[in-house]
Amino acid sequence: MTGYVGGLVFGLSGGMVIALAALFGVWWERKVAGRIQMRLGPTEIGPAGVFQALADTIKLLLKEDITPRQADKKLFRVAPFLVFTPIAMSLVVIPFANGWAPLDTSVGMLFYLAVPAVSVIGILIAGFSSGNTYATLGGIRGAAQMISYELPRTLSVLAIAILAGTLAPVEVMARYEWWWFPVSLLGFIVFFISSVAELNRAPFNIPEADSELVAGYFADYSGIRWAIFMMSEYGGIVATSYFGAAIFLGGSQGIGGVLGVLLIFLKAILLITVIIWVGWTFPRFRSDQLLTLAWKVLTPMALVQIVIVGVIIPWL
Amino acid sequence: MSFDGPFMIQLALGVVALLTALAVVAVREITRMAVALGVFLLSVAGLFLFYGASFLAAAEVFVYVGGVLVLMLFAIMLVQRTDAGRAALESRHDIGSASVAIGLFVMLTVALRGVSNRFQGSPAGSSVPELADVLMGSRLVQYEMAGLLLLVALVAVIVIAGGDEQ
Repeated sequence: MTGYVGGLVFGLSGGMVIALAALFGVWWERKVAGRIQMRLGPTEIGPAGVFQALADTIKLLLKEDITPRQADKKLFRVAPFLVFTPIAMSLVVIPFANGWAPLDTSVGMLFYLAVPAVSVIGILIAGFSSGNTYATLGGIRGAAQMISYELPRTLSVLAIAILAGTLAPVEVMARYEWWWFPVSLLGFIVFFISSVAELNRAPFNIPEADSELVAGYFADYSGIRWAIFMMSEYGGIVATSYFGAAIFLGGSQGIGGVLGVLLIFLKAILLITVIIWVGWTFPRFRSDQLLTLAWKVLTPMALVQIVIVGVIIPWL
Repeated sequence: MSFDGPFMIQLALGVVALLTALAVVAVREITRMAVALGVFLLSVAGLFLFYGASFLAAAEVFVYVGGVLVLMLFAIMLVQRTDAGRAALESRHDIGSASVAIGLFVMLTVALRGVSNRFQGSPAGSSVPELADVLMGSRLVQYEMAGLLLLVALVAVIVIAGGDEQ
C-alpha cells in the first residue's frame, strides 16, 4: 500500500513542480521578449519582477469562473483538465538527472510521443463545447495542425532510436556520443519545428490566433480554467525542451550528481529561450503554409534523416 | 485471488472500461459518445500496461486515442452545426444498428474463443526487443504485407477523393 501512497505524494509534488515551472516560464518569456524588443519586461514585484507571475496567478484565482449559457456545461468544465493531464504525464519519462527518470521504462520515447497527443482531444472538446464559432474554428485548426505535425515529430525521433538501439530515454542519454549531434542534426531541426507547432506556440499559433479568432479554442474560458490552459502550454514547453535536450543534445553527458542535473537544465533553458525567441520574431503562418510545411518539407526531411542513419549504421 | 492493490486496480479499470463501452452504445449525443470511447480506449491501455505489455499500451494510446479518435471528433465537428443549438447529430438507436452490434459481438466471441486457448502464459513479444525480433524476423512477410495493404488503401483513398482533378 505504501507504493500507492508514495505515488500519490509523487504525483501531487509533480503537479506543484509543473505549476512553479509555468510561473517561471511566464516570467522568463516576458523577460526574454522584453529584452528582445528593447523593453524591460516585468520589474515591479520582487527582484527583477520574478513574483509578477505569482501575483497574476492570485488575481486569476480570484476571478469568476464563467460558463457560457450556450456551452455544453459538463464537457466545457472538464476540457482544461483533458488538455493538462496528458502533458503533465509526459514529464514522467524525462531523464532529469544522469541515469534517473521518474519512470524509467523501456518504451519511454514512445510514451513521450503518444501521451501528449491525447491533449488534442481536450482542445477539440474545449473548442466544440463552448458553443462559439471562433472557438470551434480554433479547435478544428488545432486538431488538423497537431495531427499533421505528429508524423514528422515521430519520424525525427526514430533516427536517435536507431543510433542508440533503445527506446528508453535514460539509456539513450547513457549511450550518447558527440558525433550523434552532426549525424542527427536534420532530425533535431525537424523535431524542434514540429514540437513548436505541436505546442500551438507562435509562429504556429493559428488555433489561438488572437487577432482573428480572439483566442481560439479557449476564448470563453476565464479564471482558474484559463490558468490551466496556460499551465499546460508552459508545461509542454518545459517537457519538449527537456526531452529534446536529453535525446538530441546528450542531456547530462554521463556526468552524475548535481553537475549533471545542472547541465541538462541549462540545455533545456537554452531550448526554452529559443522557442520564445522564435515565437516573438516570426509572423504567424497561414493555415495552408502550415500544412505545406508539415507534409512537403518536414516529413521528407525526417525520412532523409532516417536514410542517413540507416546508411551510416553498417559502417560503425 | 485476494482484494489487494493490484486486484483493485484491475477491477477499477475493468469496470471503467465496461461502463464507458456501454455509454458508447447508449449515449444519444455523438460528442459525448466520442468522449466515452476515449475513456474506454485509455482504460484498455491501462489494462495492457497492468499486464506488462507496455509497448502495446503506448501504441494503443498513440494510434487509437491520438489518431483514430481525434479523426472521429474532427469529422463530428465538421458536420455538426454549432450556431443552431446543441445535439444536431444524434444516434437513432434503431434495430439495424443493434443487430450489427450484436452480430459483430457474436463473431468476435466465436473467433477469439478458438484463439485464446493458444496463448496461455506470457505471450511472446511483450517487451520491445522481443516484439522487434518477432515482427522483423519470423513474421517479416506478414508484417510487410500488412504495410503494403495499408499503402494500397491510402492510395485508393487519394484517388477516390481527388478523382475530379484528372
